[in-house]
Amino acid sequence: MNSQIQRIAELDRVIHEPGRLMIVALLYAVDQADFLYLQHETGMNKGTLSSHISRLEKEEYVEVLKTYRGKVPQTLLSLSSAGRKAFEQYRRKIREAF
Amino acid sequence: MNQVESLLNRPRFYYNVDGVGELGIGFMGLSYSLYIWLGMHSSMHSIWNKPYSLFIFVAIMCVVIHYGTKAIKKRITYPRTGFVSYRKRRSVLPALIVSIVWVVAGYGLSIIMRRHLDITTSACLILGLILSVCYAWGIARAVRWKWFVVFALAFASITVAFLPEGNVAALADHSSVIQYFSARLVGALLLYFFVSSAIILASGAISFCTYLRSAPKPAPESE
Repeated sequence: MNSQIQRIAELDRVIHEPGRLMIVALLYAVDQADFLYLQHETGMNKGTLSSHISRLEKEEYVEVLKTYRGKVPQTLLSLSSAGRKAFEQYRRKIREAF
Repeated sequence: MNQVESLLNRPRFYYNVDGVGELGIGFMGLSYSLYIWLGMHSSMHSIWNKPYSLFIFVAIMCVVIHYGTKAIKKRITYPRTGFVSYRKRRSVLPALIVSIVWVVAGYGLSIIMRRHLDITTSACLILGLILSVCYAWGIARAVRWKWFVVFALAFASITVAFLPEGNVAALADHSSVIQYFSARLVGALLLYFFVSSAIILASGAISFCTYLRSAPKPAPESE
């Protein structure tokens, strides 16, 4: 039981934050998604979403690609292999903990 | 943890958020029903009964559905609710299941052809069950009102399965296939194919209209 509780302390805090958890979970299921899709799905405003993405980018969990769709700027996001691994580990640990 | 699992499914359901997936399936089903019906009601030497016409028909249908879907997504869906590209599946399980189903169905058909069995009622009910379950699993799980579509698909299969023989058989009277299968079976399957495709197309059209209302196009500078 004690080791089970200790599992909670081992959780990746970058991913464990609810906003970032939503972003990582959504990106895990796709190859790429744009900023608008994440904003629409998570219900976060641009500033909050941007700050969460910056944090994930700093940890190298998310790759950001700035491009254009026609003449409109588009921000494409994808989960890096490190991010994918970290999310899989997070899911495993949380399953073990509960 | 369940919420995380449901988040993982959201991008998959997003493909049909605008009803385009259903529009494609419904369009394909309806046009294929029309093709079969034309083949049944024209002479053996007409273009509709030539093997190459099926290839041309399938090629045109694939092009229309592929590029039509792409155009709708690009011009309507992505500017409104965002762009998603999906990961390529590496699993061989779906292909394996489809292969097994084809082999079993082929074997079943050969038995029916040899013994001239009339399996109309059970065939309609089984097809209806499979279609309803697939629709419920793939589409209705994400949108609550789509459970009415599941019900409609199941109800249509039951209705067609128990329609009077004369009415259903009349649909396939001119078909060359009735030398192998009963006219009732061919007519019932064609009718069910047509009705279920129409239901799915209508459901897709409703989703599309609802989507356009609920997701207005954002102003260019808000991107």
